[in-house]
Amino acid sequence: MSHALLVATDLRKSYGPTAALAGASVTVRAGEILAVMGPSGSGKSTLLHCLAGIVRPDSGTITYAGRDLTAMSDVDKSALRRSEFGFIFQFGQLIPELTCLENVALPLRLAGVRRRAAEQRARAWLAQLEVEGVADKLPGTISGGQGQRVAVARSLVTGPRVIFADEPTGALDSLNGEKVMVLLTQAARDTGAAVVLVTHEARVAAYADREIVVRDGVAHDRLAQTLERVA
Amino acid sequence: MTPQGGFRAWARELALGARMALAGGPSGWVRAGLTALGVGLGVALLLVATSVPNAIAARQERTAARDDVSFDEPPPRSDTTILVGKADTWFRGTAIRGRLLQPDGAHPPVPPGLSEIPGPGEMAVSPALARLLASPEAELLRERLNYPIVATIADEGLAGPMEFAFYLGADDLDEASDTVTRRDHFGEPRVGPRLDPVLSLLVVVMVVILLLPVALFVAAAIRFGGEARDRRLAGVRLLGADAHMARRIAAGEALGSSVLGLLVGGAIFFGVRSFVDRVELFRLSMFPADVRPHPVLVLLLVVAVPAASVAVTMLSLRTVVIEPLAVSRRAADVRRRLWWRLLLPILGVALLLPMLGSLSKSGGEVNVTLVSLGVALVLVGVAALLPWAVQAAVRRLRGGPVAWQLAIRRLQLDSSTSARAVMGIAVAVAGAIGLQTLFSSVETNYLVQTGADPDRAEVFISLPVQDGWADVQRLERAVAATPGVQSVYSGMSRLAVVGPTTDPQTDEPYTFVTVGTCDALRELAELDACEEGSVFLVASSESDNGAVPPEPGRTVGFLDERTNSVVGEWTVPVTAQMVAGRRAPDGNEPAGVLATPSALSVELLATWSGTLSSYVDITDGDRDAVERLRTIVWNIAPGGDFSLTTPTVRTNEFATVRRGLLIGATVTLVMIGVSLLVGVLEQLRERRRVLASLVAFGTRRRTLAWSIVWQTAVPVALGLGLAVISGLMVGAALLKIVNEPVSVDWSTIALVSGIAAFVVLAVTAVSLPPLWRFMQADGLRTE
Repeated sequence: MSHALLVATDLRKSYGPTAALAGASVTVRAGEILAVMGPSGSGKSTLLHCLAGIVRPDSGTITYAGRDLTAMSDVDKSALRRSEFGFIFQFGQLIPELTCLENVALPLRLAGVRRRAAEQRARAWLAQLEVEGVADKLPGTISGGQGQRVAVARSLVTGPRVIFADEPTGALDSLNGEKVMVLLTQAARDTGAAVVLVTHEARVAAYADREIVVRDGVAHDRLAQTLERVA
Repeated sequence: MTPQGGFRAWARELALGARMALAGGPSGWVRAGLTALGVGLGVALLLVATSVPNAIAARQERTAARDDVSFDEPPPRSDTTILVGKADTWFRGTAIRGRLLQPDGAHPPVPPGLSEIPGPGEMAVSPALARLLASPEAELLRERLNYPIVATIADEGLAGPMEFAFYLGADDLDEASDTVTRRDHFGEPRVGPRLDPVLSLLVVVMVVILLLPVALFVAAAIRFGGEARDRRLAGVRLLGADAHMARRIAAGEALGSSVLGLLVGGAIFFGVRSFVDRVELFRLSMFPADVRPHPVLVLLLVVAVPAASVAVTMLSLRTVVIEPLAVSRRAADVRRRLWWRLLLPILGVALLLPMLGSLSKSGGEVNVTLVSLGVALVLVGVAALLPWAVQAAVRRLRGGPVAWQLAIRRLQLDSSTSARAVMGIAVAVAGAIGLQTLFSSVETNYLVQTGADPDRAEVFISLPVQDGWADVQRLERAVAATPGVQSVYSGMSRLAVVGPTTDPQTDEPYTFVTVGTCDALRELAELDACEEGSVFLVASSESDNGAVPPEPGRTVGFLDERTNSVVGEWTVPVTAQMVAGRRAPDGNEPAGVLATPSALSVELLATWSGTLSSYVDITDGDRDAVERLRTIVWNIAPGGDFSLTTPTVRTNEFATVRRGLLIGATVTLVMIGVSLLVGVLEQLRERRRVLASLVAFGTRRRTLAWSIVWQTAVPVALGLGLAVISGLMVGAALLKIVNEPVSVDWSTIALVSGIAAFVVLAVTAVSLPPLWRFMQADGLRTE
């Protein structure tokens, strides 16, 4: 069994009087695809943002490869996100003013890679995601499915160890959603990246190796629960 | 569909749009609020601008109603007349209007703002003067105006709420004094001098230049939240609205926002108006009741703003393709055409050309409408050319660091938003340069060279002599004993008729006889040797008082100017020497006879009537010394002349126009800064999702901050470049209209451009904290 890469313990996070996380614990193993499921407002996205170091939890600990994420400075966490993590959001969140190629190259450029080299690697990823034809187009001029595949390419271009995907197919029709998931999981397995996949769709979660369900801010391992019930 | 149904459908769609503008939860309310604030700020400023004519008229009416200067023969003394003495004074550079009132009988006229005439030694003061007198820093003024305050001057007796004014009851006014007049009423019909043509032109151009950026900001504010609106419209299309319906709904949104903006503008206007009496700008204050917008202009504004908002929205929708896929696909930035943009300034210059050389200070006529239109077209040309210039400049830019790339790509995708943001400031700068070019060139025509030399004496005192030479000695002693005074030279002078006869009815030459110590006379003439008893004759070629020096040995007759009769004679000693005159410290050229006291008889010295002049040098920057001296003069004669010597003075009208420009420019600049800030905040808010995702990738703060700076700096640099060129064009055309040689004041250009750049940088700096806030994960949570 692969080792634990990202471990969160007893995470709590509130937005005003609303508790988004109420003692959530989760472990992400290297190379696994973990689906985080749950109804709207259950705290899935907050959990993902905490795991990615975007949101600081009110309490609890998160360790990534043995390093305490909650104790890291903002600068260190930003550096970690640039080099080790990749992100995919529901609407792609491509930068509208950059071409698709520049969008994919952006994480590399932020990490200090020179433009020509960054764009070369970006072009290769676009080809792998079968959207090389939109390289020089602006995000506003391509379809949602194409945009999401560009976003997947962008999340993979730095060779991250963890990809955080927040409802990556939420804005797509089922056909495009399937395509994106196939390409994402395939690419992740090829590169050995772990994927934390937030979704409320069972068919999307079906691509995952393991599922956890977030309910009322607490994460429950579905397999463990099933085993418990069987026992 | 029947026409009625059509109208109903239109109304329904417009209403739906208006509801959408105001709905949408907190995010929608913030968007609507920012748009309303942007439009409202512009509307408020336009309301203030439309109130200016009323405010000026109301001010003039009140000052005319209390006017006590008339060129008519004064009325004979009666039960219904009053003696009014001018007693204006200053305190720390601020003018205080003062009048001494002495009723001739039981039913004197009462000046506006008073219910009765204060008794002798009692004072009625304006509220502002009452506050000043009660303040700790007015100790020196209290020494001067040390009278019991028995009444407050009401608003109708004041030019403005911050005016310092008083009426002091008196019982010893000398009705023969130049500063005292008899009145049987207060108030004179306002026959104020018309502004000369050049100043009129300046005022017209000023109004156009100050209001144009405001109109541009209103137009820019209407387009706030454009991207969110496009997404909403795409949603509406998904529900079955066709493209025309979507446009009508957009028009309804624009109407809703602009109406809200009008309401906000009205609220801001009334808010500002309610405390306008507590603010003084460049020594001008207004009563809230004076700030009344002209009803016709208000109506125009109420119609024009919503109409303009719909027009602007329709124009902006031309570049957007809204499809029913819940995604609005923005067409690539349309390649802008240059020809019609260039046509605007060319047309503007063409309108100004026929008027070149048609004005001068002394006269000439100019078509005000054409000048306004010409200047407006050149300036609108700046606004129209800027988006083209930004697009053309950034089109081919590639590469660079990430911050630069983000900024340039943003400008390439949508240059108009950034261009719109700096359009107003570019137009304001162009206008300011044009106006300033005209101002600095014609300013010398409105500067009067006084010839005064503050290095020799900073204070000049002129008083009527009542007790002969003793008055001079008393004043000198009092002044010399005043802390801060370094030197004082005084003398007294008097008009005299030069023989052969001493009958003032004949057309004989006259001269001035000035008596002073040798030290004092040295201030008026180049004297090698002087001792008591010396007499000198000065013929100054520059003298404009017409006085001629008599020949030695001639007898002169001293005139009593009140009775125009000779009241004493004196023979100029044969030893009197002709000497070269020296310009006095107050700038006057002396001429006539300069005599030391011993050269005249004791009787003549004791009965001397005429004018006492005193030149006082004080320690540099000792403002208290000035106030103490004013009090000394006040105690001798409240209406006495007291002035600070200055080499040049601006004419009143020019100073008034310049003051108007400063007030307008200040208000416009503040407005521009606030509007820019609102615009930047709106842009940041619209892009918070993108900003949040950039943060998720680990983008550094400084990278984003620099991208914002570049995104603003590029259009600003281009805008300022265009503004300088257009401003010089406007300035040159205006100078040619008033027949002045074209000259470029580069320091003004640098100053104006520097101020504009500072405003933009300050706004960028102020917008950084919200940027940090938008860079948090909240942007992602909105998913």
